[in-house]
Amino acid sequence: MFPEKIKYFIKQSWLLIIASFCFGLLIAVTNAALAPKIEQNKIDKLNRLMGGLLAAEKFEPAADFEITSAKGKKIKTNIYRGLSESNECVGWAFNCQGPGFADKIELVVAVDKDFEKIIGFDCLASNETPGFGDRIKLPYYRNQFAGAPAGKLQLVKTGSADKIDGEIVAITGATVSSEAVVKIINNSIPQVKEQMKEKGLVGNGK
Amino acid sequence: MANEPKTTASDNTGGVYKETLLAGLWRENPVFRLLLGMCPTLAVTAAVKPSLTMGLCVIFVLTCSNIVVSLMRKFLKPHLRILMFTLTIATFVTIADLFVKAFQPRMSEVLGPYIPLIIVNCIIIGRAEACASKNRLGLSIIDALGMGAGFTLTLCVLAGIREILSTGAVFEIQILALQDQGGWFTPWAAMSMPVGAFITLGLLLGLINAVTRRKA
Repeated sequence: MFPEKIKYFIKQSWLLIIASFCFGLLIAVTNAALAPKIEQNKIDKLNRLMGGLLAAEKFEPAADFEITSAKGKKIKTNIYRGLSESNECVGWAFNCQGPGFADKIELVVAVDKDFEKIIGFDCLASNETPGFGDRIKLPYYRNQFAGAPAGKLQLVKTGSADKIDGEIVAITGATVSSEAVVKIINNSIPQVKEQMKEKGLVGNGK
Repeated sequence: MANEPKTTASDNTGGVYKETLLAGLWRENPVFRLLLGMCPTLAVTAAVKPSLTMGLCVIFVLTCSNIVVSLMRKFLKPHLRILMFTLTIATFVTIADLFVKAFQPRMSEVLGPYIPLIIVNCIIIGRAEACASKNRLGLSIIDALGMGAGFTLTLCVLAGIREILSTGAVFEIQILALQDQGGWFTPWAAMSMPVGAFITLGLLLGLINAVTRRKA
Protein backbone atom coordinates (compact mmCIF):
# COMPACT_ATOMS: atom_id res chain seq x y z
CA MET A 1 0.00 0.00 0.00
CA PHE A 2 2.49 2.57 1.17
CA PRO A 3 5.22 2.04 -1.47
CA GLU A 4 2.45 2.18 -4.06
CA LYS A 5 1.66 5.71 -2.95
CA ILE A 6 5.28 6.77 -3.05
CA LYS A 7 5.64 5.29 -6.51
CA TYR A 8 2.67 7.33 -7.69
CA PHE A 9 4.06 10.44 -6.07
CA ILE A 10 7.46 10.02 -7.74
CA LYS A 11 5.86 9.24 -11.07
CA GLN A 12 3.87 12.44 -10.96
CA SER A 13 6.49 14.77 -9.63
CA TRP A 14 9.91 13.52 -10.71
CA LEU A 15 10.32 16.37 -13.18
CA LEU A 16 9.42 18.93 -10.56
CA ILE A 17 11.88 17.48 -8.07
CA ILE A 18 14.74 17.32 -10.57
CA ALA A 19 13.97 20.78 -11.92
CA SER A 20 13.86 22.24 -8.41
CA PHE A 21 17.28 20.83 -7.67
CA CYS A 22 18.79 22.03 -10.94
CA PHE A 23 17.26 25.51 -10.69
CA GLY A 24 18.25 25.80 -7.05
CA LEU A 25 21.80 24.93 -7.95
CA LEU A 26 21.77 27.43 -10.83
CA ILE A 27 20.62 30.26 -8.56
CA ALA A 28 23.08 29.30 -5.84
CA VAL A 29 25.99 29.37 -8.29
CA THR A 30 24.93 32.72 -9.77
CA ASN A 31 24.43 34.19 -6.31
CA ALA A 32 27.79 32.95 -5.10
CA ALA A 33 29.46 34.47 -8.14
CA LEU A 34 27.73 37.85 -7.95
CA ALA A 35 27.15 38.42 -4.22
CA PRO A 36 30.55 40.04 -3.53
CA LYS A 37 30.03 42.46 -6.40
CA ILE A 38 26.52 43.39 -5.24
CA GLU A 39 27.80 43.95 -1.71
CA GLN A 40 30.62 46.10 -3.07
CA ASN A 41 28.13 48.20 -5.06
CA LYS A 42 26.19 48.98 -1.89
CA ILE A 43 29.35 49.95 0.00
CA ASP A 44 30.52 52.07 -2.95
CA LYS A 45 27.27 53.97 -3.01
CA LEU A 46 27.29 54.63 0.73
CA ASN A 47 30.93 55.72 0.53
CA ARG A 48 30.17 57.98 -2.43
CA LEU A 49 27.33 59.67 -0.58
CA MET A 50 29.31 59.99 2.63
CA GLY A 51 32.28 61.30 0.67
CA GLY A 52 30.06 63.97 -0.85
CA LEU A 53 29.00 65.12 2.60
CA LEU A 54 32.16 64.81 4.65
CA ALA A 55 35.58 65.95 3.51
CA ALA A 56 37.12 62.69 4.66
CA GLU A 57 39.73 60.51 3.07
CA LYS A 58 38.19 57.25 4.17
CA PHE A 59 35.44 55.85 6.33
CA GLU A 60 35.53 53.13 8.88
CA PRO A 61 32.53 51.51 10.55
CA ALA A 62 32.53 52.64 14.17
CA ALA A 63 29.53 51.09 15.85
CA ASP A 64 26.12 49.51 15.34
CA PHE A 65 23.04 51.19 16.70
CA GLU A 66 19.35 50.73 16.96
CA ILE A 67 17.07 53.62 16.14
CA THR A 68 13.49 53.40 17.35
CA SER A 69 11.18 54.86 14.73
CA ALA A 70 8.23 57.11 15.53
CA LYS A 71 6.01 54.03 15.43
CA GLY A 72 8.19 52.15 17.88
CA LYS A 73 9.90 49.87 15.36
CA LYS A 74 13.57 49.22 15.97
CA ILE A 75 15.85 49.66 12.97
CA LYS A 76 19.51 48.69 12.93
CA THR A 77 21.97 51.24 11.62
CA ASN A 78 25.71 51.65 11.25
CA ILE A 79 27.70 54.71 12.08
CA TYR A 80 30.85 55.46 10.16
CA ARG A 81 33.77 57.53 11.31
CA GLY A 82 35.16 59.82 8.64
CA LEU A 83 38.93 60.02 8.80
CA SER A 84 41.15 62.67 7.26
CA GLU A 85 44.48 61.92 5.64
CA SER A 86 46.28 62.21 8.98
CA ASN A 87 43.80 59.76 10.55
CA GLU A 88 41.92 62.43 12.44
CA CYS A 89 38.20 62.16 12.91
CA VAL A 90 36.45 64.80 10.81
CA GLY A 91 32.89 63.71 11.42
CA TRP A 92 30.37 60.93 11.55
CA ALA A 93 27.93 59.58 9.04
CA PHE A 94 25.03 57.22 9.56
CA ASN A 95 21.97 56.09 7.69
CA CYS A 96 18.43 56.42 8.92
CA GLN A 97 14.96 56.03 7.45
CA GLY A 98 11.35 56.93 7.85
CA PRO A 99 8.11 57.21 5.92
CA GLY A 100 8.00 59.77 3.12
CA PHE A 101 5.08 60.93 0.99
CA ALA A 102 4.94 57.92 -1.31
CA ASP A 103 7.44 55.45 0.04
CA LYS A 104 10.16 55.00 2.63
CA ILE A 105 12.92 57.63 2.56
CA GLU A 106 16.42 56.46 3.44
CA LEU A 107 18.91 59.15 4.29
CA VAL A 108 22.60 59.40 4.99
CA VAL A 109 23.22 62.06 7.60
CA ALA A 110 26.63 63.52 8.36
CA VAL A 111 27.46 65.34 11.58
CA ASP A 112 30.65 66.99 12.80
CA LYS A 113 33.05 65.21 15.11
CA ASP A 114 31.56 66.60 18.35
CA PHE A 115 28.02 65.76 17.25
CA GLU A 116 27.08 69.40 17.61
CA LYS A 117 26.30 70.39 14.05
CA ILE A 118 24.80 68.69 11.05
CA ILE A 119 27.10 68.74 8.05
CA GLY A 120 24.46 67.62 5.60
CA PHE A 121 22.26 64.82 4.37
CA ASP A 122 21.74 62.91 1.16
CA CYS A 123 19.09 60.51 -0.10
CA LEU A 124 20.12 56.87 -0.21
CA ALA A 125 16.70 55.83 -1.46
CA SER A 126 13.51 57.79 -1.98
CA ASN A 127 10.48 57.64 -4.18
CA GLU A 128 8.97 61.10 -3.80
CA THR A 129 6.75 62.74 -6.42
CA PRO A 130 8.88 63.93 -9.35
CA GLY A 131 8.95 67.70 -9.61
CA PHE A 132 7.55 68.19 -6.11
CA GLY A 133 8.68 65.93 -3.29
CA ASP A 134 11.90 64.91 -4.97
CA ARG A 135 13.10 68.49 -4.64
CA ILE A 136 14.31 67.44 -1.19
CA LYS A 137 17.41 66.36 -3.14
CA LEU A 138 18.05 69.87 -4.47
CA PRO A 139 20.57 72.32 -2.95
CA TYR A 140 17.88 74.87 -1.95
CA TYR A 141 16.52 72.46 0.62
CA ARG A 142 19.62 70.47 1.46
CA ASN A 143 21.85 73.48 2.06
CA GLN A 144 19.65 74.56 4.94
CA PHE A 145 20.86 71.55 6.88
CA ALA A 146 24.55 72.26 6.42
CA GLY A 147 25.64 73.73 9.73
CA ALA A 148 22.29 73.41 11.48
CA PRO A 149 22.50 72.37 15.14
CA ALA A 150 22.33 68.63 15.72
CA GLY A 151 19.30 68.89 17.93
CA LYS A 152 15.62 69.33 17.24
CA LEU A 153 14.99 71.03 13.93
CA GLN A 154 11.79 72.87 13.18
CA LEU A 155 10.00 73.06 9.88
CA VAL A 156 8.58 76.46 8.98
CA LYS A 157 6.47 77.54 5.99
CA THR A 158 8.05 80.96 5.52
CA GLY A 159 11.42 82.29 6.42
CA SER A 160 14.86 82.74 5.05
CA ALA A 161 16.38 79.60 3.62
CA ASP A 162 19.82 81.21 3.58
CA LYS A 163 19.92 81.63 7.34
CA ILE A 164 21.48 78.59 8.96
CA ASP A 165 19.68 77.76 12.14
CA GLY A 166 17.34 75.19 13.61
CA GLU A 167 14.57 76.33 11.30
CA ILE A 168 14.13 74.57 7.98
CA VAL A 169 12.00 76.28 5.35
CA ALA A 170 9.66 73.79 3.67
CA ILE A 171 9.55 73.35 -0.09
CA THR A 172 6.46 74.91 -1.64
CA GLY A 173 4.16 72.14 -2.84
CA ALA A 174 6.09 69.46 -0.97
CA THR A 175 5.33 70.06 2.68
CA VAL A 176 4.90 66.36 3.43
CA SER A 177 8.27 65.40 1.96
CA SER A 178 10.02 68.35 3.65
CA GLU A 179 8.40 67.37 6.91
CA ALA A 180 9.38 63.73 6.46
CA VAL A 181 13.09 64.55 6.15
CA VAL A 182 13.01 66.82 9.22
CA LYS A 183 11.14 64.13 11.16
CA ILE A 184 13.62 61.42 10.23
CA ILE A 185 16.55 63.61 11.23
CA ASN A 186 14.84 64.79 14.44
CA ASN A 187 14.05 61.24 15.38
CA SER A 188 17.43 59.72 14.68
CA ILE A 189 20.00 62.33 15.72
CA PRO A 190 19.12 62.50 19.46
CA GLN A 191 19.01 58.70 19.64
CA VAL A 192 22.32 58.24 17.88
CA LYS A 193 23.87 61.00 19.99
CA GLU A 194 22.65 59.34 23.16
CA GLN A 195 24.05 55.97 22.17
CA MET A 196 27.31 57.54 21.05
CA LYS A 197 27.69 59.10 24.48
CA GLU A 198 26.92 55.79 26.15
CA LYS A 199 29.63 54.11 24.15
CA GLY A 200 32.00 56.96 24.88
CA LEU A 201 32.55 57.86 21.25
CA VAL A 202 31.70 61.56 21.72
CA GLY A 203 31.14 64.01 24.52
CA ASN A 204 34.08 63.16 26.76
CA GLY A 205 36.84 65.13 25.19
CA LYS A 206 37.65 62.58 22.52
CA MET B 1 -10.02 40.13 -31.12
CA ALA B 2 -6.94 40.05 -28.97
CA ASN B 3 -6.90 36.29 -28.71
CA GLU B 4 -7.12 35.40 -32.37
CA PRO B 5 -5.53 32.01 -33.04
CA LYS B 6 -2.18 32.34 -34.66
CA THR B 7 -2.34 31.85 -38.40
CA THR B 8 0.16 29.32 -39.55
CA ALA B 9 -0.77 29.54 -43.19
CA SER B 10 2.75 29.72 -44.54
CA ASP B 11 3.85 26.87 -46.73
CA ASN B 12 7.50 26.49 -45.77
CA THR B 13 9.32 26.44 -42.43
CA GLY B 14 11.12 29.72 -43.04
CA GLY B 15 7.74 31.37 -43.45
CA VAL B 16 6.57 30.13 -40.06
CA TYR B 17 9.66 31.50 -38.34
CA LYS B 18 9.35 34.87 -40.03
CA GLU B 19 5.64 34.97 -39.30
CA THR B 20 6.23 34.17 -35.61
CA LEU B 21 8.96 36.78 -35.27
CA LEU B 22 6.89 39.52 -36.89
CA ALA B 23 3.75 38.56 -34.95
CA GLY B 24 5.42 39.57 -31.69
CA LEU B 25 6.49 42.90 -33.13
CA TRP B 26 3.20 44.05 -34.58
CA ARG B 27 0.21 41.79 -35.17
CA GLU B 28 0.36 40.21 -31.73
CA ASN B 29 2.40 42.90 -30.02
CA PRO B 30 2.14 41.95 -26.31
CA VAL B 31 1.42 45.48 -25.12
CA PHE B 32 -0.54 47.12 -27.91
CA ARG B 33 -2.50 44.15 -29.23
CA LEU B 34 -2.68 41.57 -26.41
CA LEU B 35 -2.57 44.10 -23.55
CA LEU B 36 -0.32 41.83 -21.50
CA GLY B 37 2.37 42.94 -19.07
CA MET B 38 0.65 46.23 -18.26
CA CYS B 39 2.28 46.57 -14.83
CA PRO B 40 5.85 47.19 -16.06
CA THR B 41 4.50 49.10 -19.05
CA LEU B 42 2.92 51.66 -16.77
CA ALA B 43 5.48 51.59 -13.99
CA VAL B 44 8.93 51.76 -15.57
CA THR B 45 8.39 53.88 -18.67
CA ALA B 46 9.26 57.23 -17.10
CA ALA B 47 12.61 57.14 -18.93
CA VAL B 48 14.15 55.14 -21.78
CA LYS B 49 17.08 53.65 -19.87
CA PRO B 50 15.08 51.73 -17.25
CA SER B 51 12.63 50.67 -19.95
CA LEU B 52 15.43 49.24 -22.04
CA THR B 53 16.87 47.42 -19.02
CA MET B 54 13.43 46.03 -18.24
CA GLY B 55 12.94 44.97 -21.87
CA LEU B 56 16.30 43.20 -22.00
CA CYS B 57 15.52 41.37 -18.76
CA VAL B 58 12.19 40.25 -20.19
CA ILE B 59 13.88 39.04 -23.41
CA PHE B 60 16.38 37.05 -21.34
CA VAL B 61 13.76 35.50 -19.07
CA LEU B 62 11.34 34.83 -21.92
CA THR B 63 13.97 33.15 -24.08
CA CYS B 64 15.34 31.00 -21.25
CA SER B 65 11.92 29.97 -20.01
CA ASN B 66 10.72 29.18 -23.52
CA ILE B 67 13.82 27.03 -24.13
CA VAL B 68 13.37 25.08 -20.89
CA VAL B 69 9.61 24.69 -21.28
CA SER B 70 9.95 23.61 -24.89
CA LEU B 71 12.59 21.02 -23.96
CA MET B 72 10.49 19.49 -21.23
CA ARG B 73 7.11 19.82 -22.97
CA LYS B 74 6.83 16.05 -23.53
CA PHE B 75 7.25 15.31 -19.82
CA LEU B 76 4.83 17.93 -18.55
CA LYS B 77 1.91 16.62 -16.51
CA PRO B 78 -1.13 18.78 -17.32
CA HIS B 79 -2.01 19.47 -13.69
CA LEU B 80 1.57 20.34 -12.78
CA ARG B 81 2.41 22.49 -15.80
CA ILE B 82 1.63 25.91 -14.28
CA LEU B 83 3.80 25.01 -11.31
CA MET B 84 6.64 24.03 -13.64
CA PHE B 85 6.28 27.25 -15.64
CA THR B 86 6.35 29.40 -12.52
CA LEU B 87 9.35 27.54 -11.14
CA THR B 88 11.26 28.02 -14.39
CA ILE B 89 10.34 31.68 -14.71
CA ALA B 90 11.15 32.46 -11.07
CA THR B 91 14.61 30.92 -11.48
CA PHE B 92 15.54 33.01 -14.50
CA VAL B 93 14.05 36.19 -13.05
CA THR B 94 16.15 35.74 -9.92
CA ILE B 95 19.25 35.30 -12.07
CA ALA B 96 18.38 38.38 -14.15
CA ASP B 97 17.79 40.37 -10.96
CA LEU B 98 21.17 39.38 -9.56
CA PHE B 99 22.89 40.39 -12.80
CA VAL B 100 21.21 43.81 -12.88
CA LYS B 101 22.09 44.36 -9.22
CA ALA B 102 25.71 43.46 -9.86
CA PHE B 103 26.35 45.27 -13.13
CA GLN B 104 23.72 48.02 -13.30
CA PRO B 105 23.25 49.04 -9.66
CA ARG B 106 21.66 52.37 -10.58
CA MET B 107 19.10 50.72 -12.85
CA SER B 108 18.39 48.19 -10.13
CA GLU B 109 17.53 51.07 -7.80
CA VAL B 110 15.33 52.79 -10.37
CA LEU B 111 13.47 49.61 -11.25
CA GLY B 112 13.22 48.48 -7.64
CA PRO B 113 10.70 45.66 -7.22
CA TYR B 114 9.73 45.62 -10.90
CA ILE B 115 12.48 43.20 -11.92
CA PRO B 116 11.44 40.50 -9.40
CA LEU B 117 7.88 41.21 -10.55
CA ILE B 118 8.70 39.85 -14.01
CA ILE B 119 7.84 36.51 -12.39
CA VAL B 120 4.18 37.40 -12.56
CA ASN B 121 4.42 39.06 -15.97
CA CYS B 122 1.64 37.54 -18.07
CA ILE B 123 3.65 37.69 -21.28
CA ILE B 124 6.10 35.07 -20.08
CA ILE B 125 3.69 32.57 -18.62
CA GLY B 126 1.40 33.26 -21.58
CA ARG B 127 4.10 32.37 -24.11
CA ALA B 128 5.11 29.29 -22.12
CA GLU B 129 1.52 28.08 -22.19
CA ALA B 130 0.55 29.20 -25.69
CA CYS B 131 3.75 28.52 -27.59
CA ALA B 132 6.66 26.80 -25.85
CA SER B 133 4.66 23.93 -24.33
CA LYS B 134 3.29 23.03 -27.78
CA ASN B 135 6.09 23.81 -30.21
CA ARG B 136 9.58 22.62 -31.00
CA LEU B 137 12.66 24.38 -29.66
CA GLY B 138 13.50 26.57 -32.67
CA LEU B 139 10.04 28.03 -32.99
CA SER B 140 9.85 28.66 -29.24
CA ILE B 141 13.10 30.64 -29.29
CA ILE B 142 11.98 32.72 -32.28
CA ASP B 143 8.65 33.34 -30.57
CA ALA B 144 10.41 34.48 -27.38
CA LEU B 145 12.69 36.81 -29.33
CA GLY B 146 9.80 38.29 -31.31
CA MET B 147 7.57 38.82 -28.31
CA GLY B 148 10.48 40.13 -26.21
CA ALA B 149 11.55 42.55 -28.93
CA GLY B 150 7.96 43.72 -29.38
CA PHE B 151 7.65 44.34 -25.65
CA THR B 152 10.99 46.15 -25.45
CA LEU B 153 10.29 48.37 -28.46
CA THR B 154 6.86 49.29 -27.14
CA LEU B 155 8.27 50.17 -23.73
CA CYS B 156 10.98 52.30 -25.31
CA VAL B 157 8.49 54.16 -27.53
CA LEU B 158 6.29 54.93 -24.53
CA ALA B 159 9.29 55.88 -22.41
CA GLY B 160 10.71 58.06 -25.18
CA ILE B 161 7.51 60.08 -25.41
CA ARG B 162 7.26 60.42 -21.64
CA GLU B 163 10.92 61.23 -21.09
CA ILE B 164 11.09 63.98 -23.71
CA LEU B 165 7.94 65.65 -22.41
CA SER B 166 8.88 65.38 -18.74
CA THR B 167 12.58 66.27 -18.91
CA GLY B 168 13.29 67.41 -22.47
CA ALA B 169 15.78 64.56 -22.83
CA VAL B 170 15.85 61.15 -24.45
CA PHE B 171 18.17 58.48 -23.06
CA GLU B 172 19.38 61.18 -20.65
CA ILE B 173 20.67 63.26 -23.57
CA GLN B 174 19.21 66.76 -23.45
CA ILE B 175 17.35 67.56 -26.68
CA LEU B 176 14.95 70.35 -25.82
CA ALA B 177 16.34 73.47 -24.14
CA LEU B 178 14.73 73.80 -20.72
CA GLN B 179 13.21 77.08 -19.64
CA ASP B 180 15.21 77.37 -16.42
CA GLN B 181 18.39 77.02 -18.44
CA GLY B 182 17.43 79.78 -20.85
CA GLY B 183 15.52 77.64 -23.35
CA TRP B 184 11.86 77.58 -24.27
CA PHE B 185 10.63 74.17 -23.09
CA THR B 186 8.68 73.82 -19.85
CA PRO B 187 8.92 70.22 -18.62
CA TRP B 188 5.59 68.50 -18.03
CA ALA B 189 6.05 67.04 -14.56
CA ALA B 190 2.83 65.04 -14.93
CA MET B 191 4.41 62.95 -17.69
CA SER B 192 6.89 61.35 -15.31
CA MET B 193 4.10 60.50 -12.87
CA PRO B 194 1.70 57.53 -13.19
CA VAL B 195 -0.92 59.76 -14.79
CA GLY B 196 1.48 60.37 -17.71
CA ALA B 197 1.85 56.63 -18.21
CA PHE B 198 -1.90 56.06 -18.38
CA ILE B 199 -2.53 58.97 -20.75
CA THR B 200 0.35 58.09 -23.11
CA LEU B 201 -0.57 54.41 -23.20
CA GLY B 202 -4.24 55.24 -23.78
CA LEU B 203 -3.50 57.61 -26.63
CA LEU B 204 -1.06 55.16 -28.26
CA LEU B 205 -3.56 52.29 -27.95
CA GLY B 206 -6.22 54.45 -29.56
CA LEU B 207 -3.86 55.43 -32.35
CA ILE B 208 -2.83 51.83 -33.02
CA ASN B 209 -6.48 50.72 -33.04
CA ALA B 210 -7.39 53.48 -35.48
CA VAL B 211 -4.53 52.50 -37.81
CA THR B 212 -5.32 48.77 -37.77
CA ARG B 213 -9.04 49.35 -38.24
CA ARG B 214 -8.43 51.44 -41.32
CA LYS B 215 -6.21 48.68 -42.71
CA ALA B 216 -8.75 45.94 -42.06
